[in-house]
Amino acid sequence: MTDPIPEEARAANLRLWNAWTRVHEKSAYYDVERFKAGATSLHPLELEELGPFVRPGTTLLHLQCHFGMDTLSWARAGADVVGLDLSDESIELARKLADEVGLSRRAEFVCADLYDADAHLGSRLFDVVFVSWGAIEWLPDLERWAGIVARHLVPGGTFYMAEIHPFAGSLDEVPGEHDVRVGYPLLPAPEHPEVDAIQGSYADRSADTTGLVAYGWTHDLAEILGALTGAGLRVEHLHEFPTSPAPFWDWMIQDEARWWWLPDGKGGLRRDLPLSYSVRASKPAT
Amino acid sequence: MLEDYLKANLASWDEAVGVHVGSQLYDVEGFKQGRCSLSDIEISELGPSVHEGTSLLHLQCHFGLDTLSWARRGAVVTGVDFSGEGIETARALADEVGLTARASFVRSDVLALPDVLQGSFDVVFSSWGALIWLGDLERWAQVVAHFLKPGGTFYLAEFHPYAYLLADDAAPDSLRIGYPYFQYGRPQRFDEEDDYADREARMEHTVTFEWNHGFAEILDPLLHNGLRLEFLHEFPHTIVGLPFPFLEVCDDGLQRVKGHHDDFPLSFSLKMTKEG
Repeated sequence: MTDPIPEEARAANLRLWNAWTRVHEKSAYYDVERFKAGATSLHPLELEELGPFVRPGTTLLHLQCHFGMDTLSWARAGADVVGLDLSDESIELARKLADEVGLSRRAEFVCADLYDADAHLGSRLFDVVFVSWGAIEWLPDLERWAGIVARHLVPGGTFYMAEIHPFAGSLDEVPGEHDVRVGYPLLPAPEHPEVDAIQGSYADRSADTTGLVAYGWTHDLAEILGALTGAGLRVEHLHEFPTSPAPFWDWMIQDEARWWWLPDGKGGLRRDLPLSYSVRASKPAT
Repeated sequence: MLEDYLKANLASWDEAVGVHVGSQLYDVEGFKQGRCSLSDIEISELGPSVHEGTSLLHLQCHFGLDTLSWARRGAVVTGVDFSGEGIETARALADEVGLTARASFVRSDVLALPDVLQGSFDVVFSSWGALIWLGDLERWAQVVAHFLKPGGTFYLAEFHPYAYLLADDAAPDSLRIGYPYFQYGRPQRFDEEDDYADREARMEHTVTFEWNHGFAEILDPLLHNGLRLEFLHEFPHTIVGLPFPFLEVCDDGLQRVKGHHDDFPLSFSLKMTKEG
């Protein structure tokens, strides 16, 4: 099967994620020291919505795991985990972290492009497949993605994703105002990736990322849910939230639960627009 | 409060029936001569589930043109609307086009329907500008599930939640946001003199209360009431019917956002199956 990611996009995104790994390891946003000291890196939302499906011995596959803190947090919660990511520097750091916190026996990390997952995972099945925050925007073809998810779930298994909302992905700053408008396409165009020059990182806006470029793809909820149902999964819930786990602009406001909000322009928080969502789906038992 | 909202909305819809029956948009004369009032989306997506004798419940049917169009395609239909004017007009139309044997109409608030209607249906159908008149989709989803036979189909073709978001002065190069996606059950009050089907009309009942609903708010209660999602589709166009200044009607007769013909969704459809 042909690779859905153009070669120049793959190379650019790999270079970006390797550079971001070095930035993120030292960032206050990821706070690796806090993780090493025992704190979970998972967002309260993920713990609330997926936590009940993760018990001691649950097998969990984390697709696009970056440097593995969330993967390892699920391992700390009892799961036997496999994390997969395209960035070799991320996977190297994930393995080092696993070793340092004494989880290498229950955590395995695979360096592979998402679309090569089958070749690396073979026929391995997992109780849970987990995807989160800023993952699918790097993928042009969600049908193939959902096929990978479905093929590696046990019958009766659970898929869970928490992601940035497609609507939030379309938002742009109104120049000179702490306000937003729709500035990017809201419907997918698989043949036309958005190519953006990168300035810093979502985790550290001041990081030097000179020369780095990102190739990303727009997806809508219809495409996402359609891909999952088309792969034979049964959608169990769709939840939407007016908050994001990371700021899109430096004028957003963080609350005590680690959510970022848009300001309402009147000193309060703006609750009327969707910034993130979560989906849980199951693979039919028979 | 809810009763006040419904009272205002009912007065508006009762008055709208008379305007709509005479409007070009609804083209009742064309319908009487055999024109199907359903859109291509509904025909291509729900059509294959509607056969001779299929029982179909149409929620929020207005004065029944679409309900009767499904009857013409073979379905045995029941249309429901809260407007007495709508239901009376629908019955008269059914009589005039000779469909009374396979079309009945019930006047009821959709949320109270289980109190006044018995039975279950192969298909529950709703479309175009229905959900904004409902404050409580939890109860609505229960009603949908209640009236579906096991294995039955729920189909909805609707204006997209994003279609209601843009500011009145949204321009192609600056799609500013003027209205909410999440309303948390609180309606927006509108006061409009004209009517979406007849911009020249001057209405007596101008105040309405409307609720935009996000995808999660629409889909989640249906999932929790035993319906399985078959598909959700989003379209960068819609049937004519939204009166917003940032829209234009294209050569194919569909509305799109000016300057954003391909990338701004204005409608969606979904199909679900009741378990069992």
